[in-house]
Amino acid sequence: MANLIGKSEKRIDGYDKVTGKGLYASDYYNQFPHMAYIKAFRSPYAHAKIKKIDYTKAKALPGVIYILTGYEDVRWDDFPKMAIIAKDEVLWAGQAIALIAAETEEIAEDAVKLIDCEFEVLPFVSDYYEAIKPDPVSVIDPEYETRAQGFQDRPADRATNRVSPNIVGAYYMHTGDLEQGFKEADIIMEDEFSVGKKTASPLEPATAICKYEPDGGLTMISNGAGVHGVIKEHICRVLGMPESKVRVIQPYMGGSFGSRLSPYVELQTALMAMRIKRNVSYRFTRKEVFTAGPSNWSCTTKVKMGAKNDGTIIAHDYYLCEEIGACVNNTFFSGRLSSSGAAPCYRFPNMRMDTFAVATNTVPAAEYRGLGCPEAEWGIEIMVNRLAEKLKMSPVDIRLKNIIDPGERDIYGEVITSIGLKKCLLGVNEVIKVEEKPVQDGSVWKRGKGCAVAGKQNTPLGRSEAKVWYNSDGTIQLFISCDENGMGATTAMGQICANEFGVDLKDVKVIKGDTLCTPYDNYSASSRTTYNTGNAVMIACADCINKLKTEVARVYGLNPKNVEIKGKKAILKGTYVQEVDIPPLFKHWTMFTQGNWGLQQYSPVVGYGVYCPAPIHQWGPDGKSDRVWNWFQYSACAVEVAVNEETGVVKVVKIASSADTGNPINPEIVKSQIQGGVHMAIGFTTMEEHLYDEKGAQSNANFSDYRLPTIGEMPTNENVFALINPDPLPDGPYGAKGMAESITVPVGPAIEEAIYQAVGVRLNYYPMTAERVLAAIKEKKAREAAK
Amino acid sequence: MRFEKYFEPASIKECCELLVEYGKDAKLLAGGTDLVPKMKAEVLAPKAVISLHKIPGLETYKLCDKGVTIGALMPLRKLSLCEDLNKWPALKAAAGHVSSMQIRNQATLGGNACNASPSADAVEGLMVYDAIVNIAGPNGDREVEIADFFKGPGKTDLKEGEFVVSFFVPAPEEGTGAAYRKFAIRGDTDISIVGAGARLLLKDGKIADARITLASVAPTPMRAVKTEEFLIGKTPDEETAKAAGKIARDEAKPISDPRASAWYRKDIVEVEVYHAILDAAAAVK
Repeated sequence: MANLIGKSEKRIDGYDKVTGKGLYASDYYNQFPHMAYIKAFRSPYAHAKIKKIDYTKAKALPGVIYILTGYEDVRWDDFPKMAIIAKDEVLWAGQAIALIAAETEEIAEDAVKLIDCEFEVLPFVSDYYEAIKPDPVSVIDPEYETRAQGFQDRPADRATNRVSPNIVGAYYMHTGDLEQGFKEADIIMEDEFSVGKKTASPLEPATAICKYEPDGGLTMISNGAGVHGVIKEHICRVLGMPESKVRVIQPYMGGSFGSRLSPYVELQTALMAMRIKRNVSYRFTRKEVFTAGPSNWSCTTKVKMGAKNDGTIIAHDYYLCEEIGACVNNTFFSGRLSSSGAAPCYRFPNMRMDTFAVATNTVPAAEYRGLGCPEAEWGIEIMVNRLAEKLKMSPVDIRLKNIIDPGERDIYGEVITSIGLKKCLLGVNEVIKVEEKPVQDGSVWKRGKGCAVAGKQNTPLGRSEAKVWYNSDGTIQLFISCDENGMGATTAMGQICANEFGVDLKDVKVIKGDTLCTPYDNYSASSRTTYNTGNAVMIACADCINKLKTEVARVYGLNPKNVEIKGKKAILKGTYVQEVDIPPLFKHWTMFTQGNWGLQQYSPVVGYGVYCPAPIHQWGPDGKSDRVWNWFQYSACAVEVAVNEETGVVKVVKIASSADTGNPINPEIVKSQIQGGVHMAIGFTTMEEHLYDEKGAQSNANFSDYRLPTIGEMPTNENVFALINPDPLPDGPYGAKGMAESITVPVGPAIEEAIYQAVGVRLNYYPMTAERVLAAIKEKKAREAAK
Repeated sequence: MRFEKYFEPASIKECCELLVEYGKDAKLLAGGTDLVPKMKAEVLAPKAVISLHKIPGLETYKLCDKGVTIGALMPLRKLSLCEDLNKWPALKAAAGHVSSMQIRNQATLGGNACNASPSADAVEGLMVYDAIVNIAGPNGDREVEIADFFKGPGKTDLKEGEFVVSFFVPAPEEGTGAAYRKFAIRGDTDISIVGAGARLLLKDGKIADARITLASVAPTPMRAVKTEEFLIGKTPDEETAKAAGKIARDEAKPISDPRASAWYRKDIVEVEVYHAILDAAAAVK
């Protein structure tokens, strides 16, 4: 069997998904007897006090089984409890106040309308500037006890030197001598940047089906992420369930992009099942995906850079604030994660980085592909492009001058072990040729080109385990619990396993996502699966192979080191045969043999592997640490756009994106990840954005008005270039690392630069909608006319 | 989505009777592409849904010397591809710009009109050609000019018991050119931010008659009457089109909503009317 690594094997789940035979969580929605269905009563106001609430009429409706409220006696603990069910105060429009279980979805819907709730509307804040200003409206009314952690260390806003009651966490990192750096700089530029809020929008809304088992336990089928590390853990911890009585199954997932790492529906469904002792189904409507599920967090950044005439960036003063919605007691937020990508690309010898997070009365933020990096690096990359223009340098050259080389330490003090960013940048430039002017056709569509680069950290998120069976017929079963959000991880894991045993991919059956039989994995996040679970798979395979060698060696009286396993064959050294088929060595048991010792039919040889990256070293007061992130994924992007100067519409006509994946396990799957990432980023940097009405409620919580890109917004096939430029990761499986998140990061700034080259306007905010681009064009014309 | 009764009347008369019986509690089902989403979102909650599909003849069209009569149930995609209707390119184009192909297979011309959305594309095609709406009712048939048919967002001229059976679209005179332009961000799939229709009748190189219609910039589909008046007697060149665009911009009365700001819609009206006029002039054979 040839080497399977770097081979574009067909996806294991491809046939199931293309033919519609594969089952998703939604397919189980009404497949069990005695189902109850949940519908939520949600706040129409961004901020209000619940003065009086009367459930009498709702309870009296025939078919209503139970009404669950914020007063349930469970240990919400450190979970952002406000995100689950409100008690006395609602913090965003869309927050659940009560959940009704009924015999049918329709009855539950009717019952929701019968809830009589009196609100006292409170002032609210829905954006960063309102939240941060002196004496702002408080996101949480001080009257209530919902204020928690995070709030103890309230940093002052650097600009106003004031402490806002809405600030929830902060991080400072200073390196070198910033003042001296700016003194030595030949040019200094600065500006402020921000971005809109977006929702990950997986096509299958959050869905949980919970079976109530006769022993009082639960079996949950969910399209949420992390069967062990997220869903089971939260159910056990929050509901106080014994681990032995909770089973979580993840069928095919209809997408996540990070949004399904927040187990809102799972907890609510499990709690309801325990209360009513029945099977329960709950799924979000599309509106709830927007208003009740997590959004990303938007960021506002202030970037000031000083550079030498030769393009060396020697001073960088960086400020970032995450706008996290009503996720008020989550210490997750300090700006630390968003800004993580700001440093590993460039040297920045003198840098000050002050970051923090601020709450608002909008839907709570959580993970979204890229974890704040697209938002954080937006301003930095634009600034690098502007420096290049001012210095009359190519945007490629200025980057090559400042990009970190492998083995160097970044500003935090970490060693960068794998960085293929220069190769990525050169690769995309070879396609788009950023330095050459585009051909103009004389129409209202003006062409322009631009490029940008990006880095994204991989967080050490803990443990992955894998189990592998070598069956007596020579087939192999791999048991893993990483998520298959659609990225192709199952296939990559199967390929790694098949390669270790030297068999075809079809000889490996991958079983995944069932806590009853697949071993622990935290969850798939931070582009970690190939790296983390992949390492566990390799260790499990090695364990299994070693055991198999020992057993084969016993049959022939050999030292196991003289046995080599090649699929169904063993190669032997030092005995009377050189090659032997393994399956016949497994004996059928009879009463006359000792079938229960040694290799026995139908009893697989089992291997087990655990992989857990080293933990973070706590950073010092200067924000530095020699060990924070595992490694960094890198990406470069170059685009050619056409901008309609009459309407402001921006079309990406050609795009090249390159990933530094480390050694890719399956290049075609990597390429489709690149295409998907590019498409997603074209969407959120040119179209997608939450809009709010005067009550502070989202006014475009649907796919008609929230403009998710269609395939029509993607350049045509022959104009999409997905490139792989790896720098192998020393501790990755076969040198592989993750790549899915970094792809989205440089697309926006590359488009921004291309728009500037096309029509001469600069944008500091994305999405760069047609309306915003046209406004900028008009402003420019007015400026020129005034001269 | 729930409703209590579902009917499939087999004749116009039977349908009118049902409409009288259920009054405001009844909704007609043509293609359902507007009705079903509205019922799902509980914007509409009719007790009775009355399908028009068993009434014979509503899906066909009939040509005569003076024009064509198009049945209310004519699917938009069929309309947009119909070779017999090549005299009315702006109507075909407008029908072809409604949403996705899947929707156009299902959606009907009558439904697009009776939904009375200010952003309806196919309606613009009817407006451009001064179509007549043929209405059946308990007290007999009547006709209304399409421009008078719309009374507000979601509101039409239909009285209790009445429904639209067909549209009569007059044949354009020799020397006519017409065009329809839809402006939306995600192509036809998106609801129009602005729709602009134009029909020009040229005599001796001058504009003898003009229709300029706009979608999505007023409570109803509208005619830009001042722009039309301005165009009469002018040469259909760039300068005229530019000036006309500016007048249309002032005539448009858009609002700001999640799809676009009012100022942006006005800017786009100016651009699209300019292009529609030039497109229409170029289409004159």
